[in-house]
Formats: sequence, structure tokens, C-alpha cells
Amino acid sequence: MLLRLLLREVKRIAADHSLVLTLLLAPLVYVFFYGSIYQYKAEEEVPIAVVDDDRTGLSQTLITQIDNSQMVNVALRTTLEGAKESMYQGHTQGFLYIEKGMEQKVLSLQQADMVLAVNAARFLPSSEVAGAITQIGLTVGAGVRLQYLQKKGMNTEMSMQEVMPVNVDYRPMFNSRSDYGTFLLPGLIAMILQQTLLIGLAGGSAAERQRGSISEWMQMAGGNASVALWGKGLFYFLLFCAYAYFFLTVNFRVLELEILGSGWELAIITVIFLLSLIPMGIFTGLLFKSQLLATQLMVFSTYPIFLITGYSWPLSEMPPFVKAVSYLLPITPFLGLYQGVVQQGAHITDRLPDLYHLLGLWCFYAAICLWKMRSLYKPNAVAHAV
Amino acid sequence: MIRATAQIALREWKRILTRKDHYIVLLVLPAFLFFFYAFIFDKQQAEDLPVAIWDDDRSAVSRQITFLLEQTASIHITASVSSETELRQLMQEKKIIGAVHFPKNMEKDIKSRHPVKVAVYTNASALIPSKLVYKDAAGVIITAGSGVNLQKFMKTGMTEGKAMALIMPVKLQLFTLYNPTYNYQNYLVPGLVTVAMMMMIIMVTVLIFNKEWEEGTEQELAEIGRGNAGVVFTGKALAHLTASWINFALVFGIIFPIFSMYHAGTWWSLFVMFNLMSLACIGIGAMVSVIMLDVMLALDFGIFYTSPAFVFSGFTFPRWGMPWYDQYYAAIMPYTPFLDAFFKLYFMELPLRYAGPEALRLLLFIGFTFFIAVFFLQKRLDKTQTHAAPVTAS
Repeated sequence: MLLRLLLREVKRIAADHSLVLTLLLAPLVYVFFYGSIYQYKAEEEVPIAVVDDDRTGLSQTLITQIDNSQMVNVALRTTLEGAKESMYQGHTQGFLYIEKGMEQKVLSLQQADMVLAVNAARFLPSSEVAGAITQIGLTVGAGVRLQYLQKKGMNTEMSMQEVMPVNVDYRPMFNSRSDYGTFLLPGLIAMILQQTLLIGLAGGSAAERQRGSISEWMQMAGGNASVALWGKGLFYFLLFCAYAYFFLTVNFRVLELEILGSGWELAIITVIFLLSLIPMGIFTGLLFKSQLLATQLMVFSTYPIFLITGYSWPLSEMPPFVKAVSYLLPITPFLGLYQGVVQQGAHITDRLPDLYHLLGLWCFYAAICLWKMRSLYKPNAVAHAV
Repeated sequence: MIRATAQIALREWKRILTRKDHYIVLLVLPAFLFFFYAFIFDKQQAEDLPVAIWDDDRSAVSRQITFLLEQTASIHITASVSSETELRQLMQEKKIIGAVHFPKNMEKDIKSRHPVKVAVYTNASALIPSKLVYKDAAGVIITAGSGVNLQKFMKTGMTEGKAMALIMPVKLQLFTLYNPTYNYQNYLVPGLVTVAMMMMIIMVTVLIFNKEWEEGTEQELAEIGRGNAGVVFTGKALAHLTASWINFALVFGIIFPIFSMYHAGTWWSLFVMFNLMSLACIGIGAMVSVIMLDVMLALDFGIFYTSPAFVFSGFTFPRWGMPWYDQYYAAIMPYTPFLDAFFKLYFMELPLRYAGPEALRLLLFIGFTFFIAVFFLQKRLDKTQTHAAPVTAS
């Protein structure tokens, strides 16, 4: 019976080009398409205008060091106005101003000023540039101290020890380069898997209702809603298990991503995740009488869902209402488990609350989906139609 | 001609108000979605993230630095660990986002002029909180190091000014323009809202012509428009343009003021650019709608075309960091020039003239899509009238 329902689903999808596109083409296209954006993982060479009114050896050294850093691409400007205009036009993301007499001040033990203005409206590059230039400023400062101490008669080894008595040793774990791509790509891949499945399932289920074929579907399952649910779901389950395997092997390799934890544990949580998404997708679709509307609205769910999973913005920082919505989404506990296994080498046992949460949502969505299917099932509808 | 255009526009408005796939997407969903976006980031900044202390020194200095770390906005000390294995385990259990390690004999080494390294560990697989914790922790540790140097130089009889000049010979004055506190709500919500507005317009306008043929109302449409594609197109475009104004008013008149995101003096120039983007979106949607008579296929095109707009536009990850082919894809979406102009007009509050290049690109979108849409629509209308004429005659 499950096989008959599976074949029915295959025929339905084959006859509906929208479902073919959403379920068969979109996951593969999207995963390569979106993945390619973050191929280089980190943003580099952010253009910054530099105005050097000092024009000395020290200012030149400083500019060369800044330009040599991976993060900044120096664009020299002769006036401050020109530098500002360049930022206003969108050609540069900020400007650095080196005052006249900087070297002289430094040599005569007076503090010199350097002004850095970054366009923080563009969040990511501005904070990275500010961090990189601050670091270079500190290094230059250390060099000046070193020279001062050496002039005072201290030997190189001693003065090196004196220069920076307390240093920061940054050790980013699980993403040693702290780059955006390594952070975002695994979550993005999981999101593509979920959204293509949900949009396809919801659209397909709404189409069942729109075309009045729910009774036929249920009768093929002998009137048993559970058989109908999992018979229909079996096709999606097998298809998306294949996609998940493909994404986590081929795409991870292409994008140079690593799975730090156990592959088997990852497989277990992915299976539970897909099993919870199937009734959720069918239930959502059955709320609509129009395939068009169901598809439209599901598309608009992508960004809100991703934003409230806690992947990019800590869940603890969200308002209680948003948290409550987030807890109703299987992807929230799934990403907790998945991020642990894939990106941090954790075991499922390290995140048992997430596992119980995910299992609970599987039961919850299966229950409400079965209830909805039964409420829409009219046993005599097929007979009457015949 | 004007009367016919107005009739088409009025008829389209009736269609917008009576079709769920039109009014839900254009008028109901925006209110819910835009409030929700603003609400997610209501706290604006992430604060008090759980951080562990690994104190192998247990000295007055380590306690002082720990106290200073707790005073920062992002760090909240929630655990004490005694090894890297332990802190790794706590990160894997999602109990901490970072840790600070004070090495053994830190205080003694500082006093005996041996440099020390204070390690800052963060869970960089959660990038945003990780960077916040690092920024605050590094700030505290560097300040502590500078304090040590300051005391040393002053002990040699140096004045405070000279000592400071040695500690920081070149003082970097940092100005983070347009979003000085790195407020997440101010940064993300305008982008999310505007991209949703673009998606909404395209997702509905891909249905404006093919639905007529699906519902069998194309004859009526042709008659009201007197068989003139320009009239029909203009009427429908006017209706959708005015519908988009409702969302503009919702965003800039209600949501932004409520969540303190309103930038006074920018609304007029934004309205000009918004109209250009809306017209470009209407042109794209109409072009698809008239070429693809299959409604679901047209919608699928709309989804495939618009979904990537946000990430490809360079809002979160700069376009110059993407491979060249992705940059080309970004260039064929009207949201990309709109966003570049939006940065200038909304965030930077610059005069409209700075958005000239972006306005020109949007005008090119409009010119191209309007021409194609009207051309194909005229062919369809001609065919409709040719088919209808014998029926009417018989």
C-alpha cells in the first residue's frame, strides 16, 4: 500500500511541472547557486580611501602595512573632501586620515592622531576593517616603543619583552579563520533542504485540496490517515535523504567544508529532521485551498524562519513571542544538533535537549497532520464523483 | 485613452482586492512580516553572552581583569573551567560561547617584565556572538596591558602625556558612521523589509496577464483597453504602483517610526527610488506574465528570480567578495541598484543626486521590460481579438 501511494505521488509530481521544478530542480540549483556566493569564505580587500597629509616615512610605512593586509585595499586620495565623496559615491567603504606632522609628533614623544571613519551601514566589512586597522595601529605603536627602549640602551631581547607586557592570543575554535562562509554555508545548506521540501510539499498538498483528490488519496490508503501520510511522505523522505547525502558529501567537498563529528550521528538527526518536516509540510499545505497561494506564502517564510532559528542571532536575545515561534520549528533543534555535529565535533549526547525537542516536534506535526487529513476526508466523495 | 487607462487601473484594483493570491501578498502579509522582522531584533544588540573563565593564575590581576570583562556589554561570566578540554565540552553543549584563559604566574610575569599571553577562546562556528565576545575581551586585555606599560613608564619619571604617547604613539580615532553602535535592528530590518517589498511586487505581477487568460477574462480586458497593449499595461502598472505605495507608507510611516528607525528628511528621495524599483519590478513581472501563460510556471520563475535577491545584493556579504558570475547575477536584479541607492539615501542621508547611477540602471530595467511586455501583450491582444471576432460575427 505504501508503495502504491509512493507511485501515486511520483505520477502527481511528474504531471505538475511546478512541483518538478520545486522538488527536483530547485534543491540542486540553489545549493550550488547560493553556495558559490561564499566560495571565497571571507570578504577581503575592502576599499578604503586614505588621505596622507604627513607624507613621511612613518605614514608611508603605515599605509603600506594597511594595504598589505588582506582586509583592506587602499585607494589614495589627496583631500579629505575627495575621500568623503568617494565614500558617498559608494566607491570606498570609509576613509583614513593621517594628520600632518604625525612622524614628528611620534619622534618627540607626543601622541599623534589618525582618524578612521568606516561606513557601518555595511555591517560586515566595516567591523572587519576597523579591527584590521586597529591591529596595525597597535603594531606600529609596539614598533615605536621598541625603538624608544633600544635607544634607552636596552638590548633587543629585553626591549621585545617590554613592548607588549600583556598580549591577546585569539583562538577561534571550530572555525579557525573566523570566516563568514565556514559559519554560514552549513546552515544555508540545511535551510535549502528544508525550504525546498516544505515549499514542494505544501504546494503539492494544497493542490490535492484544490483538485479535490484528498478522498482518493485517503481511500488508496484504505481510509487509514497514518498510511496515507507516510505513503505519500515516503517518496519525499527517500528523495530528500538522497539530497541530504549529496549535499553533505559533494557540496561540502566542493565548498571545502568539513564534518567534524560523526557521520552516523549526522545521518540520524537528518532522518528525524526530514520525518518531522514531512507532516509539517503536508499540514501546512492542507490549510490552503490554492496551490498558488500556498507556494507564495511558503516562499516568504524562508527569511523569517532562518532568522529565528538562533543560527545567526542568539535565540536568547529574541523576544519571548519570537522564541515561542522558533521552538515550534523543527529546524531550530535540528540546527542546534547539526551545528554541534558538523561544525563543532559534538555528539548527539552533548545536545540531548535538542534531540528530545526535535522528536517532540515530529510527534506534534504528525498528530496535527493526521487530524487535519481526517477532518478533510470525505469517504464517499470518490464514489459520488464516479 | 486616459479614460481607458483609468478603467483598466480601476479594474485591476478590484482584482487586487478580490483575489487572495493578490491581496494577501500585497496587503495582508506585509503588515505581519514587516512587524515580525522588526520585532526579532527588538533588543538591537546581543548582550550578556555566556563566557567561561579559565584562571590558572588566581591572582589579584586576573580577578581584576575578570571583573572588567564582566563589565562589558557582551560578556557575562557563567562558568569556571580548568582545561581546554572542559571549555571545548561546554561549547559543544552550547553552555558557553567563549572563554578567557589567564596563564599561571601571569601577575608574577608581568611584574618581572616577562610578556604574558591571555588567550581568548570563542566558538567561531557561531560567528556573530563570537566576534562580539572577542572584541570586548580584547579591548579589556589590551587596556590592561596598556595600564601596565603606563605604570612602568611613569615610574621612570616620565609624564603621563609622554607615557601615553609611548603606549599609543598613534591614537586611532574611530568613527563608525551611520550605525555607531552596530545596532542589528537598524542594520538588518530595512534591508529585509525592502527586499520583501520587491519580492511581493514581482510575485504578484507575474500573475497579472496570465491570470486573465486562465480565468477567460482576456476578451473583456482587450475591450476595455480598446485592444491597445500600451493602455492595458499602463492601467495595470498604475494599479500595482499605487498598491506598492501602501507598503511604502506602512514601512516609512508606521513601522520605522515605531521602532525608531525613521530617518527624517529621507522619505521623499526614498519614495522616488522606491517608485523606480516598483516600476522595474512591475515591468519584470508583467514581462514574465505575458510570456508565460502558465500561472504556476510564471510564479516559479518569480520565486527563482527573486529569492536570491537579498544575499546576492551584497547586503550581508559584499558583492566584491563573490565570484564574478554571481556579481553578474546580482546585476540583473532591480534590488541591487535599489539597495546601493538605499544605502546612500537612507543610511547615509545623502541628497538624491548621489543615487543617479542607480536610478539610471533602474530606468534601463524599466525601459527594457516595459518594451518587451507591451510588445508581447499586443501580440496576445491581437490574437484574442482575431479569435473573438468570428465568434462575435457568428
